[in-house]
Amino acid sequence: MQRDKFFKEIENVRHPNETLVKTHCSYCGMQCGMNLRVNTQTNKIIGVEPRYDWPVTVGKMCPKGVTAYQQTNHDDRLLKPLIRDDASLKGTKEGFREASWDEAYDLIAKKFTEMQNQYGKDTLSVFSGVSMTNEKCYLTGKFARVALGTRYIDYNGRFCMSSAAGGFLRSFGVDRGSTLPWTDIHETDCLFIAGSNTAECHPTSMFRVWNVQERGGYIIVADPRETPIARRADVHLDLKPGTDLALANGILNLLIQNGYADEEFVNQHTNGFEETKELVKEFTPEYTSELTGVAPEKIIRAAEIYGKSPNAVVMFARGIEQQHKGVDNVSGYTNMALVTGKIGRPKSGVATFTGQGNGQGGREHGQKSDLLPGYRKITNPEHVKEVCQVWGITPDEMPKPGVSAYEMFELMEEKTIRGLYLLCSNPAVSAPNLNYVRKQLKDLDFMVCADFYLSESAEFADVVLPAVTWSEDEGTVTNLEGRIIKINKAQEPLGESKPDWQIQVELAERLGKGKNFSHLKTAKDVADEFRLASKGGYADYYGATWDKIDKQDGVFWPCKDEEDEGTPHMFLDKKFYHPDGKAKICALPYRPPAEEPDEKFPLRLTTGRVVYHYLSGNQTRRIQFLHDMCPEPFVEVHPETALKYKISHEEEVRLFTRRGEAIYKVKITEAIRKDTVFVPYHFGHEQSINLLTIAALDPISRMPEFKACAAQIEKVENVEMKKVQ
Amino acid sequence: MTKKRLYLELENCIGCRSCLAACTQCGGHEERNRNYVYDVNPLVNRQTMPLMCLHCVNPACARSCPAQAIQIHETGAVLSALVEKCIGCQNCTIACPYGIPKFDTEQNLMYKCDLCIDRTKDGIPPMCASVCPSNTLQWLTDEEIENKKQQFNLDNGKWVTSMALEGETNVKVNLPGILQGVTKLF
Repeated sequence: MQRDKFFKEIENVRHPNETLVKTHCSYCGMQCGMNLRVNTQTNKIIGVEPRYDWPVTVGKMCPKGVTAYQQTNHDDRLLKPLIRDDASLKGTKEGFREASWDEAYDLIAKKFTEMQNQYGKDTLSVFSGVSMTNEKCYLTGKFARVALGTRYIDYNGRFCMSSAAGGFLRSFGVDRGSTLPWTDIHETDCLFIAGSNTAECHPTSMFRVWNVQERGGYIIVADPRETPIARRADVHLDLKPGTDLALANGILNLLIQNGYADEEFVNQHTNGFEETKELVKEFTPEYTSELTGVAPEKIIRAAEIYGKSPNAVVMFARGIEQQHKGVDNVSGYTNMALVTGKIGRPKSGVATFTGQGNGQGGREHGQKSDLLPGYRKITNPEHVKEVCQVWGITPDEMPKPGVSAYEMFELMEEKTIRGLYLLCSNPAVSAPNLNYVRKQLKDLDFMVCADFYLSESAEFADVVLPAVTWSEDEGTVTNLEGRIIKINKAQEPLGESKPDWQIQVELAERLGKGKNFSHLKTAKDVADEFRLASKGGYADYYGATWDKIDKQDGVFWPCKDEEDEGTPHMFLDKKFYHPDGKAKICALPYRPPAEEPDEKFPLRLTTGRVVYHYLSGNQTRRIQFLHDMCPEPFVEVHPETALKYKISHEEEVRLFTRRGEAIYKVKITEAIRKDTVFVPYHFGHEQSINLLTIAALDPISRMPEFKACAAQIEKVENVEMKKVQ
Repeated sequence: MTKKRLYLELENCIGCRSCLAACTQCGGHEERNRNYVYDVNPLVNRQTMPLMCLHCVNPACARSCPAQAIQIHETGAVLSALVEKCIGCQNCTIACPYGIPKFDTEQNLMYKCDLCIDRTKDGIPPMCASVCPSNTLQWLTDEEIENKKQQFNLDNGKWVTSMALEGETNVKVNLPGILQGVTKLF
């Protein structure tokens, strides 16, 4: 299925005393296929072998993927539960002692019950993540609502994919991250890529991206930095951080003015065109240039190329989504495809580069504060009834909607939330405004953290539970295409570590909820219940059985029953998911970033990733090769800006905002705007750039504005002189 | 089995260094990588390029070796120094015009890319070309390489294929660039 010109029949190398377990990478939404090499005598994972027959990535892997296997038997693995009796040591690595699972479970059950008796059910919260299987994501939602009975559950997708979700829901009425399979990408005529450092964040897309140019097609990139992909782009729209919506409106205006609108498509399949046309009129190339800092002729050229392209794909990522108007940015760029009718057919469409491995599936099945499995709404009584039947509870037992990830920290401050069960996430590094967030974690009455390493967030916990890595469990994830794929188990859990689903089942039993959980004895049991719970929702996974996934090289949702082969291309029938079947072209007034530069803070700070690290770096910073390639953060500064501050390459400087400060080594490069500085966000403790970032939230997605705030630089010697004085 | 070669398209390189990570993984490389990726102009832009052993047909490293420790495989791959023959003189590191051979001072031993000979002898691509996310490194037949050259339309009067520095090599490099001759679709 979907085998294209890049696919070649290649035999794998098989070393003596080894078996190969086919699976996918643990990291980003690309979910590159890989084979794990397992020694048949020790039954341990010892290496990696390319998976040439995976149609999306045909054996290719980035350096994170190549070394991913080194996580499993790493020296830093947590092998037993840890308990810390001295709460004064919270926020450090100190004071933990090893304990048995029984002791840890007993303590958690006792504390959780006491707290809920004293303060009510909602005093507990669950903060989860989506770098884990659909089965685990599904069960975490059920665990929070049924075993703990709390309304407060949310997940790290609020720092990742929630703006894309919000934008797609508004524009299409459905949130599938890509309207087309990745095997279409190299066959299109124009890629318009906004806010995606594709070469570093989704490297295995690059052979397809470059092939567009090699065929004579065009690449247009919107990014404040000249990233590796922007360097080779036909047009690089080097905009100021946080001004995407102006650019999207400006290009849309040109598309309409220059006759590239597909009137028939617009009339038959969309709403909102006329008011949008009126609104974007103001965004002339000159006005757009004033707002974005991009030269008018580049904006004109980009619109001309996109407009002329027979087929084109609009793609974006966290650069446009991690803003306090992230949802508007998503709908704004999506407008380009809807107005020109370049959607709902092969080789044309809209796609977001999903950040986390299961960023797509993990947001569909009930970890979000207001969602239930199958993308059902917890505020819809019919939806609640359907899920209650699967869960074995009554609708009045279903908790109400909670709040978003960052807002949970605000509820911790006012003591509405006093307890936390954290899994698969490291908010002590990845949340914005970290001085505030870390204080809230420290002041919790009781905190449990499940992880396979002692993360920076685990340092705030009273109990740490050893979870397994991705390679010691099985289940499905949904990759950035919307393709449901299978993760396979290559090794037994190391030490006493357990998969998260098992931990939750056993904890539920301790909390007296065995009747809702005890039947889940294997990952497959969870999978079967999960498929049933999603049945009838619009993210319907019921027909995506593990057998079918294996046979078809994955299954694109929706997949409603056994006969349904899934849906690689969305909207081929030009039917969108709003009740009237039409898509929405959105009229979106521009607003600047929440915090604009001023005299005291004249620079624009933006954050992002490097190719060697994944998210908070809890996994990748421990891998020797990746650590060697990028051992510490840095601040990228344009040489002219450096001259103004009299700072030099590799010099340490103090970077600060209204919220926090940190010391970074300067990396001089012309490949960034003069008014902008960049720091990667993968580092912990005093190196975290999120000490400086702003928690201005998008009104719809509740996504913080990681990508733009006002900052200032000071020479460290000046700081030290002030101290002496 | 049709002979395949390592083929480099330099402007595709995105600097991810996946080739270096993969080099440690072939099972026969003692987990040490044997090639290079350079930042071409780091203070200016993000251009990078790999520097791989080109597996010369008449390799200077082997010619300079007084102990005949560097053998040439029947596939043309110039192998790493034989442990029992290498005397650690480092002649090869000086002789190679590309600076490929690396030297282990503790073991007093040269080591270099052997084109993952355990893989390539059976026609399986080397680890670097297997994983390369950007198709900078590819594993192609001579026919496929020839087709690519045609596609890049070298006869435009502006670009000529540069002369190889050290005679003929088994690994081929795209010179001139892959984009110079491309005709845009519209």
